Amino acid sequence: MYAAHLDLAARKDFTLICASKAAMRGATILKASDDKTRALNQHTLMAFSGEAGDTIQFAEYIQANAQLYSMRNGIDLSPSAVANFVRGELASSLRSRKPYNVNLLLGGVDPITDKPSLYWLDYLASLAPLPYAAHGYAQYYCLSILDKHHHPDIDYEQGIKLLHLCTDELKRRLPIDFKGMMVKVITKDGIRTVDYDDEARIPCP
Amino acid sequence: MAAMFSQNPLMNGPNYSFNQGPSTASAGNKEHSFYPYTDNGGSTLAISGSDFTIIAGDTRSTSGYNINTRYSPKVFKIGGTTASQDDATLVLSVVGFAADGEALKERLDAIVKMYRYQHGKPMSVKACAQRLSTILYGKRFFPYYVTAILGGLDEEGKGAVYSYDPVGSYEREQCRAAGAAASLIMPFLDNQVNYKNQYIPDSGVGHELKERERIPLGRNEVEDLVKDAFDSAVERHIEVGDGLQMLIITKNGIEEIYKPLKKD
Amino acid sequence: MDTLVAQYSQSDYDREQYSQDEQMELYQPEPSLSLRFAMPPIAQPSAWLRAATDDNANPNCPIKIAHGTTTLAFRFQGGIIVATDSRATAGNWIASQTVKKVIEINSCLLGTMAGGAADCQYWLAYLGMQCRLHELRHKRRISVAAASKILANLVYSYKGMGLSMGTMCAGVTPSEGPALYYIDSDGTRLAGNLFCVGSGQTFAYGVLDAEYKYDLSETEALELGRRSILAATHRDAYSGGFINLYHVKEDGWVKHGFNDTNPIFWETKLNKGEFSNVTSELV
Repeated sequence: MYAAHLDLAARKDFTLICASKAAMRGATILKASDDKTRALNQHTLMAFSGEAGDTIQFAEYIQANAQLYSMRNGIDLSPSAVANFVRGELASSLRSRKPYNVNLLLGGVDPITDKPSLYWLDYLASLAPLPYAAHGYAQYYCLSILDKHHHPDIDYEQGIKLLHLCTDELKRRLPIDFKGMMVKVITKDGIRTVDYDDEARIPCP
Repeated sequence: MAAMFSQNPLMNGPNYSFNQGPSTASAGNKEHSFYPYTDNGGSTLAISGSDFTIIAGDTRSTSGYNINTRYSPKVFKIGGTTASQDDATLVLSVVGFAADGEALKERLDAIVKMYRYQHGKPMSVKACAQRLSTILYGKRFFPYYVTAILGGLDEEGKGAVYSYDPVGSYEREQCRAAGAAASLIMPFLDNQVNYKNQYIPDSGVGHELKERERIPLGRNEVEDLVKDAFDSAVERHIEVGDGLQMLIITKNGIEEIYKPLKKD
Repeated sequence: MDTLVAQYSQSDYDREQYSQDEQMELYQPEPSLSLRFAMPPIAQPSAWLRAATDDNANPNCPIKIAHGTTTLAFRFQGGIIVATDSRATAGNWIASQTVKKVIEINSCLLGTMAGGAADCQYWLAYLGMQCRLHELRHKRRISVAAASKILANLVYSYKGMGLSMGTMCAGVTPSEGPALYYIDSDGTRLAGNLFCVGSGQTFAYGVLDAEYKYDLSETEALELGRRSILAATHRDAYSGGFINLYHVKEDGWVKHGFNDTNPIFWETKLNKGEFSNVTSELV
């Protein structure tokens, strides 16, 4: 599954995460409103792609553990703590009999310092904090766009505009229809779904 | 048909257990040296009537081209109080790998016997059918290489036939043929028992045409049908022949009939 | 490493007699729907099983497992329609034309069967048992979401072992209203309004998507379900037999027949002029 799924973080005060809405099996789109993200706590959101079944099982396992931590300790794990926890779980899974085949993007805003962050993780348990990242085929199209247009202090509107540049390119060049994007923004106030307008048809020149 | 031809030893070489892996080198599959199965050929057949069930099987056992024996039963009484199974009410037929068939029969028999001792009554076909399904599924990851058919009389005294795949999916049916000659016998049964594709002449044109009404067959009729089915199968399949063993389940018990088939 | 472990963790004469488990099974029959399965005494059971039983990976495989084929279910204003064909195939052999691919889990929950017939029958029966236990323990009926998750988690725990099932759970509960879930043996579980599963799914989607609206009347919905399965049986060789129709309503499901496709096909063709690819001339 190459869920076109990407996101970007700004140094300012928010992180944007977006993932395609199509759930595919073979040549069939089974669902066009799939949510490939899970909220781990108030300020951390995880997007996932990879092997069917593994993705949701792993994401919900992480979600449950992150929430258990919050309940036990009365405080959320910071995004960096969650990221390193997830990496640890993926790393031990990788060395087990049946590893999870899941690629992840983890976005968050630290509730204490209000610093936004974004972590890129693949199924081999590589962890990288990045200003912007993508998984799957989306990488090949979007990273160059983000290299060109992203800078640390863009504001929310500019962020959404930048995201449009990326998703429009995917619609223009990817041979499959990924049924639009589900976009979520994480700020110090929490996680919110963005009303993202990507109905426009983008012709290929 | 593919199944029938793939079992043809001319194409595959004789089937011996243990030293033969699945012959799939062309598909690039991994070959496995552990191969505990062989096919002993033969066919079974079951038909249910309004107050009886007939389960029949030929008695030839083969290994590739070789005939191991001309008398090896494939049809067994299940769950009587004694080893002689005189008071049994259920019949199991197994075809495929004879050793797995034997193991399955022994296991089901033991379970049905234990049921009788623990509950003080014989097991109903319906219960036994469900139990057999779970027994087969219990070996989902190391299957019994058998096609089983279970027969008996249901709670209303009507004939009941349950057919299985090797891992336990099952269905109650009017009639079923299994084993090497299933593809030869089953179409004959569809036509002669369920009157498939038979219409009443001059009853209409196009889809006004009326299907021939299904009437429950009598016991003698069914016995003749079974004999005819096996005689035909023997003519066209090398793994079927020698003898025909028929168990007829009625409310008075199980009657066994043995008839010779061609031995060439 | 697996090979080494297998080699040293089992003594040669372990299997000489009935194992203790097998003996115990006779004295104390455990619940027959248990989770204990016999395994071949080798290091890689799943790869071995694939070579022995998967006719897709290995057309000459000795054990051909019956497979099921076109199933659909959709939600609409009046509940949920569930429809299936009834053909089971093992390789090219039509093993049965009268399979019941709608499995009645209980009076308000239905499951459908595509993929391995035994896998679906067994695990949906197991699900039925779990649903009943939930009722007894919590004094209320299980939600469809919970039931489908039991099944999804269960098949996920057997992932890679060779289970093959694509199933839909349809039911109505007071808390959720009509609910429909798709579960497959990969471990995928999706809620949705409309699903088609099986080798004939694309043909069924074609007819169903074109005329599907949430506001369909009951008769329109039943007819659409029937027509979609008919389309699949016509184009997909692995689908056929009878059309099995169910309607799930607030107070449980209602069966709407198990009808032969052949007369339905001719009626559709002759009365509505559809299926114009079928002619009486050989050209």
